[in-house]
Amino acid sequence: MKLIGEGLSCSSKKDAIGELVHVKTIEDVIELFDSAQGKICLVDDAGITTLGPILSELSGTICTTGGAGSHLAIISREFGIPCIMATRLHVTDASILIGKQVQIKYDGENKGLIYVLDD
Amino acid sequence: MNHDNYFSFLEEKKLNTNLLGSKGKNLFKLHDNGINIPHCFVLNSHAYTEAITKLEIPKKLRLFFSRSNPPTRVINFSNNITTEILNYEFPKRLILELQQAVTRFNDDMGGEISFAIRSSANIEDQLKFSFAGQAESFLFNNSLIEIIHSIKSCWASLFSPLSLLYILKCNQRGIELPTIEMAVIIQEMIDSDIAGVLFTINVLNNNVNQMLINSSWGLCETVTNNSVIPDLIILDKNEFIVIDSKVGDKEIRRVKNPNGPSTIIVKNEPEIKKFLCLKHEHLLKIHDLGLNIEKIFGYPQDIEWAFKNDVLYTLQSRPITNFSLDE
Repeated sequence: MKLIGEGLSCSSKKDAIGELVHVKTIEDVIELFDSAQGKICLVDDAGITTLGPILSELSGTICTTGGAGSHLAIISREFGIPCIMATRLHVTDASILIGKQVQIKYDGENKGLIYVLDD
Repeated sequence: MNHDNYFSFLEEKKLNTNLLGSKGKNLFKLHDNGINIPHCFVLNSHAYTEAITKLEIPKKLRLFFSRSNPPTRVINFSNNITTEILNYEFPKRLILELQQAVTRFNDDMGGEISFAIRSSANIEDQLKFSFAGQAESFLFNNSLIEIIHSIKSCWASLFSPLSLLYILKCNQRGIELPTIEMAVIIQEMIDSDIAGVLFTINVLNNNVNQMLINSSWGLCETVTNNSVIPDLIILDKNEFIVIDSKVGDKEIRRVKNPNGPSTIIVKNEPEIKKFLCLKHEHLLKIHDLGLNIEKIFGYPQDIEWAFKNDVLYTLQSRPITNFSLDE
């Protein structure tokens, strides 16, 4: 288990494990439409792409920008899904993490840690 | 046809607030209670209902969703509906009333001003449906033509690919969506210096004795749309004490697009990224606002606010939907 990032834990403090997927466009949402269940979704400052249609099926959300007041954080809280905002990833290219099993863990004081499991 | 007026104004008595949508209804209540909101009037939701009925959109939606279309078909269908709405011809009486309302507004404000056009759907405040009605805002509208186009764009945003995918998902799971009605808020555009969000509880740990603020330079949209890492400030609710503060990166801000009714992104200068946007006197005003608004609604609130020349405006307020005092 290797630490790959950390950020602000803005929703449920429970742990989450799932396959990491990266959503940048509406086409990505469509692609995931029938297979989002249990996945952990990474979004970046493409910001306005909301995960609305699939959000309730995800096991976690990670965003490289934003804060507690961002729509993504607000909606994640509505569904009680762990949500890490303002995430600093410890890798320069996030694409190498896509498809891997990752875990969100709460570290106290509103800090959320992200680990990759199958490395 | 009904002959009610299309528009509602802040100073009206005996208003039918059911036609204002959630955001509009809350704004009118704030104004009635002496909170400083941007001057505004509201296009009532029956204008929307009239438009989509004339365009037979409910019928087209029923047909589309009864045919078990794959999600990939949604984009085309959404484009078609959007085009129909953008080409919709406003009834003559609606145009006339809008012209009169804008003239009256400019007279009130003492000059021609810029408008923000914001959707106000009836289900924005409902737990787990709140984002289905979260549509876009259209900023810096100046001419009547721009205002009309932005009103239609607000209506059309209910049929964006994401909205339709959401409906499709609800259908698949047998969740019945409430009927959506949309009012549109036509509001004085506050070209803010600092803006952000205030929660009257600390939403990070559900502490009801604290408040949480996110703030950044420029317009509020950068904070709500996750475009920046904003400043984070935690206040004690019962007396004014700053419990914690953290400077955010605030990489960018949104400013008026000189070429039309929209915004463009500019990079924030390094020297203004290093410190908190909000000074002590700003925080005092926001703290006071939070206490007042929570008292007005009798429930924890999620408030969008903006400072222009150190004057504090409340852009919207909604209940914190995942938080129940009854539990």
